[in-house]
Formats: sequence, structure tokens, C-alpha cells
Amino acid sequence: MPEVFSNLALQHYLVVGSLMFAIGMIGFMCRRNLIVMFLSSELMFQGAAINFVAFGAYWGKLSGQSFVIFILAIAAAEAALALAIIVLLFRQKHTVDSQAFRELRG
Amino acid sequence: MVDPQFAFSQTFPTLAATEASAGKLVASTPLAPAIVVALCVVAGLATWLLLPGKREAAIRSIGGVILLATGLVFGAILVRWTAAWGGMSFYFWAFSAIALFASVRVITHTKPVYSALYFVLTVFATAGLFVLMWAEFMAAALVLIYAGAILITYVFVIMLASEATTGTVGAKADSFISEHDAVSRSPLMASFTGFAIAGLLVFLILDKGSQIPEPPAKSQAAVDLGSAQELGRNLIEENAINVQLAAVILTLAMVGAITLARRRVIVAPQDQSIETVVSPGTPVDDNPHSIPVYGTTNPRHKAYPET
Repeated sequence: MPEVFSNLALQHYLVVGSLMFAIGMIGFMCRRNLIVMFLSSELMFQGAAINFVAFGAYWGKLSGQSFVIFILAIAAAEAALALAIIVLLFRQKHTVDSQAFRELRG
Repeated sequence: MVDPQFAFSQTFPTLAATEASAGKLVASTPLAPAIVVALCVVAGLATWLLLPGKREAAIRSIGGVILLATGLVFGAILVRWTAAWGGMSFYFWAFSAIALFASVRVITHTKPVYSALYFVLTVFATAGLFVLMWAEFMAAALVLIYAGAILITYVFVIMLASEATTGTVGAKADSFISEHDAVSRSPLMASFTGFAIAGLLVFLILDKGSQIPEPPAKSQAAVDLGSAQELGRNLIEENAINVQLAAVILTLAMVGAITLARRRVIVAPQDQSIETVVSPGTPVDDNPHSIPVYGTTNPRHKAYPET
């Protein structure tokens, strides 16, 4: 059985989750390789998942973990679609540089 | 309710005394706002140095050392803060250090394959954190789905979409790194925005975190958090609609991915980087999934059905 999951422990896990989220955001903003950009978005998913599980452990409920299952499902769907689009874009211009698709900016 | 005067005094740790209210230890904020701002500025500068750019490798490693030192200082402040309350376990510090280090390497490594492998390391460390939070099933699922399935797809796409080494920068050792991997897009703005948000979040969590309401008595809500049986019951009983929606989303994503990946690509004719084969005598391509060559005089290619 879980022993007590204190408020301080919750704060520590939240800090780790938010730092991971911020690192992923930096990567998404400044990297130019489309694949690395989507890896960074997966990092942001991870940070959010840590927060969900930490709150679930704090409250002694399973809702946090079941939401992480949905995060995993959405991440899998997003990875499949994004990688299909990346392959398509690569076949079009023979590069995965996000700067090469500037005409999408409108 | 929280007394506003008390909340104000919590914002400034010089004024805040460690108080015991309602039988619970209320920790004062470990970080003054000035310390948070200083740490974020230093970490932002270090990340800016560390991100791929047109700099020497030595300057990038200096940035890495500064970022590591900033992280160690932050960790030391947290350790000192919680030492009075028993502190976190050693495994928490180890796993979170590995996770954060690997995630920094994900965004700063110039080779995408290494980024993906460092992301696997992040996933393993996160799974360790999940085990510490009694979420054993989720840890196993995370390793299976992320490290086993999603990352394999990423590595496959990295290998499929690796381009010819024409547009390289740098000399001998870096000659396989293409230009968009070696140079970031506005790294200064990105790292400062990211660390501004990180600093705000960390300060908010450490400042107001002790005001998160206490959970109800855990003895009556005795749930085995690691049990897959309980988790499955929670999924079916409380989130039945969501499970069905997730199934629909996964099916749609699969159909969409297959549809997208099988689409025929028309290469823009004005793009000079791709040579269009004009002369006849190109080898006859019988693979129905290959990309047709437009603008050719080869009758076999002209006759290719455009569906």
C-alpha cells in the first residue's frame, strides 16, 4: 500500500514535470529539423504525464493514471500522423528543414 | 481561507516564518524571486550557448557546463529546503536528474538519431519516476508504448528521411550534419521564452504549492495505485466514453497515416535541387508505388495512370 505522498513530494514532481515541459517547448521553438521538433513535443507530453500521475498519487485516485493512458493514445496518433506528413514533405522537397516550407506561412 | 497577509508573507521568505498550521508543516518558499530570476537568466544564457549554432564546440560545451552548474545549484537549494522535512528519496533525485539531462540532450544534440536515443533515456527515467509514485503499470506501459513503439517509428522516419550530405557546414567531424540540424532558429528568444515560463511555473509551484488542498483521508480511499486491475476498472467505469473516443481517434489516425503516406507527390518543376529526368532511356519502373516522373518524354511514364 502507498504510504503518505506528502505535499512537498507533490511539489517536487510538479517542478520536474514543468521543467521538462519548458525544455520541450524550447526545443520545439528553436530546432529546425521537423523530426526533432516532434520529439520535443513528445517531451512536453511527458512533462504533462508526470504532473497527472503526481496529482493522482497525491489524491490517492486512479484518474490521473487513466488520463496518462489517453495521453499515450493521443501521442501515438499524433506521432503516426506527423511522421506520415513528414515523409510526404520529405518526398516533396527532399529535406526535413522546417524553413524550407515557408510558403505554408501564408 | 488563506489570509492575504499570510499569502503575502509567503511570497517573501525573509518575512515568512516556518509555520505549523492545522497540524501540518507549512514550508516557506525556498527561493526568493530574485534567485529564481537569476537562475533563469543564467540557464537561458547557457541554453542559448548550448543550442546548435554557428559556434565553436568549445563554447557549446561551456554552455553545457554552465547549465549543469545551474541545475546543480537549483537541486542543492531544493535538497536543503526539504532536508528539514525528511527530504525526497535518493531515487527521486537520480531519476529526475537523468530525465532532465537527457531531455536537454534531446533538444541540443545535432544528430536526430542521438536525439531519439536520448529521448528513450528520458522515457526510462520517467518510468522510474512513475514507479516512485506507485504507478507501476503506467511505467511499464510508458516503456512499451514510447520506447518500444513510438520511438521505433521515429527512428525509422529519421533513417528514411535522411538526406544527401550536400548542404553540410563545418569541417571533418561534423560533415554529416546538415545545415538545419547544425543551426537553430532564433535560439536566444526561444531559450529566454522557455525559461521565463519555466521560472514562472517553478516559482508558482514552490510558492503556492503548500496551499494545494489536502486529499481526503487515504485510509477510506484505499486504492492500490499500481494495480492494473484497479486501473482497468477505473477506465471502464468512469471513462468508458473516453476509451471509445480514443479508439476512434487511433483508427482515424491509422487510416489518415496510410492515406497520407500513399499519396503521390508531384515535385514542383521550378525546384532546381531536384533533377527531372527528361531524356528517354530511363530504366523502366514497374513498381506501382514509385514516384512518377513528370515532364518526361518516356511514353511508359506518360501512360502512368493519374489516380
